[in-house]
Amino acid sequence: MALLEVKNLDVRFAVRGGDLTALRGISFTLDKGERLGLVGESGAGKSVAAFSILNLIAKPGYIAGGQILFEGRDLAAMSERELRKIRGNRIAMIFQDPMMTLNPVLTIGTQMVEAILAHRKISKKEARAIALDRLQKVQIPSPEKRLDQYPHELSGGMRQRVIIAIALLLDPEIIIADEPTTALDVTIQAEIMDLLLNLCEQENVALMLITHDLGVVSQVTQRMLVMYSGRIIEQGPTREIINDAQHPYTQGLINALPQMGEPGARLFQIPGSMPSLKNVPTGCPFHPRCSFATDHCKRAMPEYVRSGNVDVACYEVANLIEQEKRMQEAES
Amino acid sequence: MTSPLVSIRDLEKRFDLSGNLLEQITFEGGRFRRKQEAVHAINGVNLEVHKGEALCVVGESGCGKSTVARTVMGLLSPSAGEIHYDGQRIDNLEGKAALPYRRKMQMIFQNPYASLNPRMTIQQTLEEPIRFHHPGWAATEVRDKIHEVMHSVGIDPDWGSRFGHEFSGGQRQRIAIARALAVDPEFIVADEPISALDVSIQAQVLNLLMDAQESRGLTYLFITHDLAVVEHFGTRVAVMYLGRVCELADTKTLFATPRHPYTQALLSAIPKLEDDRPNHIRLQGEVPTPVNLPSGCVFHGRCPYANDRCRQEIPQLIATDGGGQVACHAVEEGRL
Amino acid sequence: MTTATVSRWDRFRESFFWYSFKRDKVAVISFVVLMLMVLSAVFAPLLAPADPYDLAQIDILNSELPPVGLDGSDPAFPLGTDAQGRDLLSTILYGTRVSLMIGFGAVVLQAVLGILFGLLAGYLGGKIDAVLMRIADVQLSFSTLMVAIIVGAVFKASFGNLMFGEIAIYMLIFIIGVAEWPQIARTVRASVLAEKKKEYVDAAKVMGFGTPRIMFRHILPNTLSPIFVIATVQIANAIISEAALSFLGLGMPETQPSLGSLIKSGFDYIQSGSWWITLIPGLVLVVLVLVINLLGDWLRDVMNPRLYKG
Repeated sequence: MALLEVKNLDVRFAVRGGDLTALRGISFTLDKGERLGLVGESGAGKSVAAFSILNLIAKPGYIAGGQILFEGRDLAAMSERELRKIRGNRIAMIFQDPMMTLNPVLTIGTQMVEAILAHRKISKKEARAIALDRLQKVQIPSPEKRLDQYPHELSGGMRQRVIIAIALLLDPEIIIADEPTTALDVTIQAEIMDLLLNLCEQENVALMLITHDLGVVSQVTQRMLVMYSGRIIEQGPTREIINDAQHPYTQGLINALPQMGEPGARLFQIPGSMPSLKNVPTGCPFHPRCSFATDHCKRAMPEYVRSGNVDVACYEVANLIEQEKRMQEAES
Repeated sequence: MTSPLVSIRDLEKRFDLSGNLLEQITFEGGRFRRKQEAVHAINGVNLEVHKGEALCVVGESGCGKSTVARTVMGLLSPSAGEIHYDGQRIDNLEGKAALPYRRKMQMIFQNPYASLNPRMTIQQTLEEPIRFHHPGWAATEVRDKIHEVMHSVGIDPDWGSRFGHEFSGGQRQRIAIARALAVDPEFIVADEPISALDVSIQAQVLNLLMDAQESRGLTYLFITHDLAVVEHFGTRVAVMYLGRVCELADTKTLFATPRHPYTQALLSAIPKLEDDRPNHIRLQGEVPTPVNLPSGCVFHGRCPYANDRCRQEIPQLIATDGGGQVACHAVEEGRL
Repeated sequence: MTTATVSRWDRFRESFFWYSFKRDKVAVISFVVLMLMVLSAVFAPLLAPADPYDLAQIDILNSELPPVGLDGSDPAFPLGTDAQGRDLLSTILYGTRVSLMIGFGAVVLQAVLGILFGLLAGYLGGKIDAVLMRIADVQLSFSTLMVAIIVGAVFKASFGNLMFGEIAIYMLIFIIGVAEWPQIARTVRASVLAEKKKEYVDAAKVMGFGTPRIMFRHILPNTLSPIFVIATVQIANAIISEAALSFLGLGMPETQPSLGSLIKSGFDYIQSGSWWITLIPGLVLVVLVLVINLLGDWLRDVMNPRLYKG
């Protein structure tokens, strides 16, 4: 059994003039110790997906259907009280902005001890020892000193390290990291990612990494999901997708990277931009920007087809697989 | 070699932190003292931008790259040093004398959500600069110009009556580019023009900038933190660290053989698609604050090759065999 | 041109502003009440049964008649009469008119001064900012009433009572306008400080636009929302200030009554049982100020960008 299994998750936002569908039919699994990347551009719904796992989507958003099974129990159907026992304890979250987690008027130590005592019945002294241990794990220079410092006394990179230390406090099963390094410089980003990767491997923690950076995804994760307009359009082993993407959107996303182009030449570009939730096209949401789109794509959302180890939702890919099959049959 | 279009000479910029006289007085060690603090954003930068090229300035936050851009555009006045455009000193021009350069030099900003006036329609946003710089133009001429620039950035001229907030981030950045192009500039400073945009939109805007460069013969000063973009877009690259240029070279040379230890670390930190894990050069410590600059080479505290000379003497840019310039004692002495 | 106006109207009807207005019953009721009061005040000469300024229409024998429904009332005077025999309904209509004129006038003056000084202080900064804001601080440390009492007394002494009656309305607008400009100046300055850091201002500078053009064409329109909110509340404040001054005898003379001077004129008769002369204009004043403040609250909620989720 997978550690986390999301089945057909639908998330909607109740706004004036009716509901907007933010996530439609999201299904994926996360095994123990596995590192999964959630890739997409802004508005694709990747943060909504992360937040909905812990039922943290703010009003007017709500889970309209589907299941989120964590060790077999459905988080979507759980009471707020039960959920609080899981949040921060079994499943920890890391946000893009460290100040979303850190309280500016409390010292790092106070906040870490508080987080431990909320879930464990131990003495303050023991809690402080755990906090110190975690700060050492994230390789913060002079960790004892940090316990008595306030968040504003630390640099951005150090704050993100503290956040990771807080996430690790209660030995969680899963860490959900939402764009943890987007606000940081490249050299700091590399260090934080390296740290996160090593910690997950050492502690056998599963990581769900939400990012728009395909380079980071390929460095850190084993499997990845590509999201577009609230749907997963491609998922499978990271290496396979990066090296040989199937969905035209994923291909476009990879080919649009400057590192893929010939220096000085025009970059590959996907025309248009992601539709807003208010006017998602019918059928495959990518069809207005897709060069392979047919009338079929405009009518109905494609089902997933399997190509190698990758699941893709695209009629064009399905056709190609079909053709290949027929050719093989004809040969034999 | 022809004379440069823009040259930045010994530029320095400090931002005063200490406020007025009353706020400067502190009580220390039993007596009152006047204490002055300043952020040293740029500390002696020399750069030349040649006609038709795209000079990229890269570096991490706080390295002074945006300050260079804003000083060149006259949004900030230099604390020391000079800015020359086409042989004419421009940093001390005021009022009417500065106007021709306002037309020739334009700027594209980072945040497309803040760079368009929310109370103005697209039409008004584009019309105002044209009328301002060409007071004699007839209404039809102005209209034709607006249509021309909107076409060239791929925005439908019929959308002129809409407001900025009705467009997506990528479209807004196109409109901001159209505004800059509307006055037919020769030189454009682009301050992180794509970092607020999504990947697929970044490619569109970069292509647009390259097309404009080709069709209008533009010269760019391109400020970015994204080295992958630099490799694609730049003719030459200047790497900045703590307000100094530490390496300057042709893009190809810089990416093939980075000489400065900082450039090497920076290049190794770009996440690449072929990587299976981060494999960057680890630097010790963190970037020092620009309030108290380290003595000697600003990078010495984090540099694995630093020695006593690095801690005392400020390295100057010297020519390398690859045709670039690097400010590093270790390279000069052949230790690296 | 018609298509443009139609689309603007459509745009307004689809806007968050209109949507939240429709949903907020308090705002709708307040608006309707305010509009009724404003319209009846504006058209007072047409609506009022009598002209309280016309001495020929006043008969002292009709004085202190109670409102309809009470003993001794006269159907010709639905709200009764005051001590001089003036029809109370008419004086209230005219009085509301005077109060609203002073309220709007004072706020227009406040807005002109406040916007100008706020823009200059916020955009230019430095010494100009320091000087203007210190003046504002000093100004705010005197209460409006205190300034008004002194200025009013000086005016009264130098012009004499008769002349004073004619210029009283302008004097009140001037006093209340000048005394309260720092409120608006501070709001404007705060928004200018936030706006001038935005890149569209840099873009305007890079274009070579002059300082006045950037201040008035680019920054000012973006600071209007908070000005709008505070101006609404300030109208209510100005009306109250005027009423207080009139009540103290430093405002509108009884020959040209405002709501405040009506309340004052009736106050002397409250002991003798003619409570309506004070109470009815008092209620009108309370309702007027209340609906303006309620509308101001609603505006502040709508225009708060942090609450805005259109």
